[in-house]
Amino acid sequence: MTELLIRNGFVYDPINKIDGEKMDIAVKNGKIVEKIEGKRVKKINASGMMVMPGGVDIHSHIAGAKVNLGRLLRPEDHYKDVEPRTSKTRSGVGYSIPSTFTTGYRYAKMGWTMVMDPAMPPLKARHTHEELNDTPIIDKATYPLLGDSWIVLETLSEGRIDECAAYVAWELNATKGYAIKLVNPGGLEAWGFGRNVSNIDDTVPNFNITPREIVRGLCKVNQLLHLPHTIHVHTNNLGKPGNYENTLKTMQCVEGLNHNNRPLIHITHCQFSAFAGNDWRTFESAADKIANYINAHNHVTLDMGQVVFSDTTTMTADGPFQFILYQLSGNKWINGDVETETSSGIVPFHYKRSSYVHATQWSIGLELALLIKDPWKILLTTDHPNAGPFIAYPKIISWLMSRKAREKMMKRINKKARSKSLLPTIDREYTPYEIAIATRAGQAKALGLKDKGHLGVGADADIAIYDLNPEKTDLNANPRLIRRAFKHAAYTIKDGQIVVKGGEVVKSISGRTFWVNVEAEKALVETRILKEKFAEYYTVQYENYLVPEHNLAVSAPIQVHAEV
Amino acid sequence: MPIVKNVTCPICGTFCDDIELTVKKNKVVDVKNACAMGEAKFLNYSDPHHRNLNPLIRRNGTLVETSWTEAIKKSAKILAEASYPLLYGWSSTCCEAISAGIELAEEIGGVIDNTSSVCHGPSILSIQDVGISTCTLGQIRHRADLIIYWGSDPYSAHPRHLERYTAFTEGRFQPSEWKRYVSRLRGVIGKKKLERASQLALMEEFSVPPITGNQFPPTLETEKERKLIVIDARRTHSAEFADYFVQVEPNKDYELLQAMRMLVKNEELEVEKVAGVPVGVLEKIVDVMIGCKFGVLFFGVGLTMSSGKLRNIDAALALTRDLNFATKFVIMPMRGHFNVTGANMVSIWQTGYPFSVDFSQGFPFYNPGETSAVDILSRDESDAALVIASDPVANFPRVAAQNLVKNPLIVIDPEKSATALMADVVLPSTFVGIEAEGIAYRMDGVPLPLKRVVKPPKGLLSDEEILRRILREVRKLKRSQRRSNA
Amino acid sequence: MTVSMRPKYLFKVPVNARNISPDAFASQTIDKIKKFEVWEGNKKRTLGELFEITGESGETPKETSIQVTGDLRRVKRIGEAMTEGEITIEGNVGMHLGEKMKGGTITVTGDVGSWLGAMMKGGTITVKGNVGDYVGAAYRGSMKGMMGGAIIIYGNAGNEVGCFMRKGLIKIYGSAGQFVGIHMHNGTIFVQGDTEGRAGASIIDGKIVILGNAASVLPSFTFDDVKKKVKVDGEEILGPFYSFTGDLVEKGNGKLYVAKAKNQHLDFYEKYL
Repeated sequence: MTELLIRNGFVYDPINKIDGEKMDIAVKNGKIVEKIEGKRVKKINASGMMVMPGGVDIHSHIAGAKVNLGRLLRPEDHYKDVEPRTSKTRSGVGYSIPSTFTTGYRYAKMGWTMVMDPAMPPLKARHTHEELNDTPIIDKATYPLLGDSWIVLETLSEGRIDECAAYVAWELNATKGYAIKLVNPGGLEAWGFGRNVSNIDDTVPNFNITPREIVRGLCKVNQLLHLPHTIHVHTNNLGKPGNYENTLKTMQCVEGLNHNNRPLIHITHCQFSAFAGNDWRTFESAADKIANYINAHNHVTLDMGQVVFSDTTTMTADGPFQFILYQLSGNKWINGDVETETSSGIVPFHYKRSSYVHATQWSIGLELALLIKDPWKILLTTDHPNAGPFIAYPKIISWLMSRKAREKMMKRINKKARSKSLLPTIDREYTPYEIAIATRAGQAKALGLKDKGHLGVGADADIAIYDLNPEKTDLNANPRLIRRAFKHAAYTIKDGQIVVKGGEVVKSISGRTFWVNVEAEKALVETRILKEKFAEYYTVQYENYLVPEHNLAVSAPIQVHAEV
Repeated sequence: MPIVKNVTCPICGTFCDDIELTVKKNKVVDVKNACAMGEAKFLNYSDPHHRNLNPLIRRNGTLVETSWTEAIKKSAKILAEASYPLLYGWSSTCCEAISAGIELAEEIGGVIDNTSSVCHGPSILSIQDVGISTCTLGQIRHRADLIIYWGSDPYSAHPRHLERYTAFTEGRFQPSEWKRYVSRLRGVIGKKKLERASQLALMEEFSVPPITGNQFPPTLETEKERKLIVIDARRTHSAEFADYFVQVEPNKDYELLQAMRMLVKNEELEVEKVAGVPVGVLEKIVDVMIGCKFGVLFFGVGLTMSSGKLRNIDAALALTRDLNFATKFVIMPMRGHFNVTGANMVSIWQTGYPFSVDFSQGFPFYNPGETSAVDILSRDESDAALVIASDPVANFPRVAAQNLVKNPLIVIDPEKSATALMADVVLPSTFVGIEAEGIAYRMDGVPLPLKRVVKPPKGLLSDEEILRRILREVRKLKRSQRRSNA
Repeated sequence: MTVSMRPKYLFKVPVNARNISPDAFASQTIDKIKKFEVWEGNKKRTLGELFEITGESGETPKETSIQVTGDLRRVKRIGEAMTEGEITIEGNVGMHLGEKMKGGTITVTGDVGSWLGAMMKGGTITVKGNVGDYVGAAYRGSMKGMMGGAIIIYGNAGNEVGCFMRKGLIKIYGSAGQFVGIHMHNGTIFVQGDTEGRAGASIIDGKIVILGNAASVLPSFTFDDVKKKVKVDGEEILGPFYSFTGDLVEKGNGKLYVAKAKNQHLDFYEKYL
């Protein structure tokens, strides 16, 4: 294994409270070590550069059935952005939904080394893993969609929390999943008959349960199972004016479950859930209301879902929302419901600066990130590719770090949106330390990944080096330099190996796939009962539903010990 | 005797996964749960008269046995030297082999195309223009109260489709149509025959004539029952099971679909009949579609290959999309080969495109009509080909087949196909799903494992292994070429 | 100034020659032009290896004219995205001729493959022979076909002429296949000969004029009137024509004019007058 010494960089390692200190980082056998010596050590001169842990992405649709249907839908999107093969890399296409190889390379080129695919239909888990296997360099994990699973709805509506926990543990194992994902809880089951739920206290048709009970129930299950991440929630009414009240209620509904001041719930792509107003005419930002709540509470983490003005492809498990988006845009529409479990929808979408709604959405994401005081609570995402493709991260970093960059964009957006935006009243500019939190440390912490997101001894040697000198450059005044540096990492190091140099892939390796293996005192699920239910609910055999570990190219199970 | 359960059936897109096989002395001796096609495959696949057990190479005009080393070397040489090689087939092998094939195509700068370009390719092109409202088959089993098959004859081509996923299956919210079918049967042929008729296999001889024309069955308008409608240019086997059969004038499907879209949108038709169907009847059918709780339209090659091709699907996709403003409605192509869906899936995630991918300039380019196998061959643009898991010589238009065999041709197939007989190199492979394992995708995109239930004959390699060996050899050739150039 | 080209042999595999274009040739010496890269199948070649090239190019694209003589049926993408100048092809030529073209002229004496003038924005293409499918169409999955300019075809055209067309003019003096103007958003298509039916399918706006037999009119079109004449590109065409509006399934407001003389089978519509 390579031994590396990264010398004299400005190190940003927020988990270990290192803020731009000039120091060396030593690497051996794929891990960060105290120090390293000898002739075989390869030295990287990082003086004048920023050294950060490899980037982590808590929410990015990069693999699986729905992503692939999105790719299928958009040849015209690939056609304009192609990647020829090189001696080191496979060929592929972009733009908004890159092919798998290109996805891995493009993340690595920006210095990202771990990405979570946030929406895996359990019945199609094998598909998600096949794609993750074909996504090179980066580490991956995926969240099974469990918020509308019939067995979850039934056990929770009858108050059988332990049984629900047992079932969720079995699902995580069966699908090699990482966290509990809820999308428009209850609404997706209703969508099976073309309906939806209207708010957190609406009853799910055919099931005697409300979204509130699903969220609370799975939050309790999450605690019982001691899962590394919290429940990961896409709220009801996402993308509708006035939905912020429901978002607040969703966060409030688990407040009482908190015992140790640790996060209990992650509200994902919060921008889409922070809308005020009664309809699209009166639509406006509710970022301040969400931020006020987050600033006063410690049980929630968020990610941004930042809008980038571009032609992209929206795709979520939220079937009813995507149908509305189809009606709004008139674009082509894919719907893909999955028996007993979930739904999905896909619509190409162009965010335009000239549109009041789109420009306001752009503003909401940034308002959230700037008004929430604690950077550990709000993480950088675009909900790739929903609010924009992940290759826009350097641009977003520049908006967060530079008021000047924001003002420049403000001048070019819809007038009404500009006059209503809160951004002109906000002076805050993220420091490199805060950027390191929003793009790696905070992400890894929220995910409960102990060896990621930091550069302490024993951590995985996933490192990004950016050619940006905080001493010599006035970062806030030079957003273009920020963008350039983050677009092409000077070096990306994955598991101790140099994979990117000067923004180009120099070596392609297979990343790992993390999943949670829940252990318990007793057998969690009585297989006979589950098998009976299974035969009644599914059109595949129980045995063929299970994803064996050898289907994962590089399996990285995380053992957790459940309380049941 | 060991019984292997939960075996997936490597035949059609229904991809049943509940087959039970009894294996004795490395041979399948009994098959449970499969349809006639599946049973025949598992029992008879390894007929030595239809199978090559050694690689073959053409010498002086005849195919003779050779070693794997020579056969692989020859294949690699053909492919590495070609300027526009074509790699065709893929729909009856596993995803692992398809993945190796794409890597090979990229390495040699070739065109890789799967059989969907000659069956449901038009459907895919239309999805790219319109989108699609679809779901997995279990949604239909649990929820659908209206089932339509259009240009598709599941009874013959997907025999267990009706019983496993649609009209004759019990769902959570929707009981089977079976009981009503049986009671109708009773009315027609009397009690005595009923007992025998309860077996699906005997259906044909005691079939109930479906109602066609102006007579509209009352059951179609009552709310609770699951209903089955068949629309086709001819009266198929499946039509015999239907509550209602609509006979469409041949090649007029597009007009019928657009007329239905008109009615869904509350527009008035200015003609009396469309595609041979009186507008009054059409209005009733559309009322049933709007009035259902969950409707599904399955379509087959009868629709994709009738005049208008992709645009028929364009209209069908738009019709089902529009119906979602009134109720829940989905649509699904009846995919033929057991892994044609997987061939599309792997190709999409690795290259962005589902079939007809051209790597000649080092990156994926896609334009069916230009980069599709039949079109390339019809224009005589290719200079070498590899065919795997399909038989284009038997299925392609004559000109295309002629142009295929006049160039160097490599065939990977377990069987002595017509194409293999015309090849320059034949690489005999194992039967995936019986002798080799892997992953394949059901017609609705549900991935399932293919099992290895018996050992393959000695000396045979899997599709994936053969492709990987060719790939290694091609790379070796290119390296030595680069060295000699330098 | 004219550059003359002639293929050295009949190409066996497709040749991708997007840089045979006045924009690429302008102000280049013949020696330099000979070194331009082209793809012959998966092999990188130079223009000089594939073509005899003589003459001289102009200072600007506008002053540059390219004349290619010979069998070019497997040569694709000539004149792609050209902005000015002139290309003359004596013989047959392959697919994507003048794709995304913005200006200038292309003239062909023989036949042309499919996707002629696909997504073009300006300029004029004239073809004396027949052409394949998808004249002035969009790329797969895109809803933006031809956006301007003119395509004049003296022979016959294949299916889906003007698919997803947004603006511009397509004139066909021969006959055309099925689905003339499908998914058209705007623009004008004129067919002097017969078509194989389904003209105007799913159009939203625009004008389609068919002088020959139209085979069929879709049930999703509503009959307006009988018109004596119709204007195409400023020119009056004498009818009479059956005039339809559609496609109603797309809430469309496109106009379909079908000459009465060759379409007696449509006379039942006259009862709605």
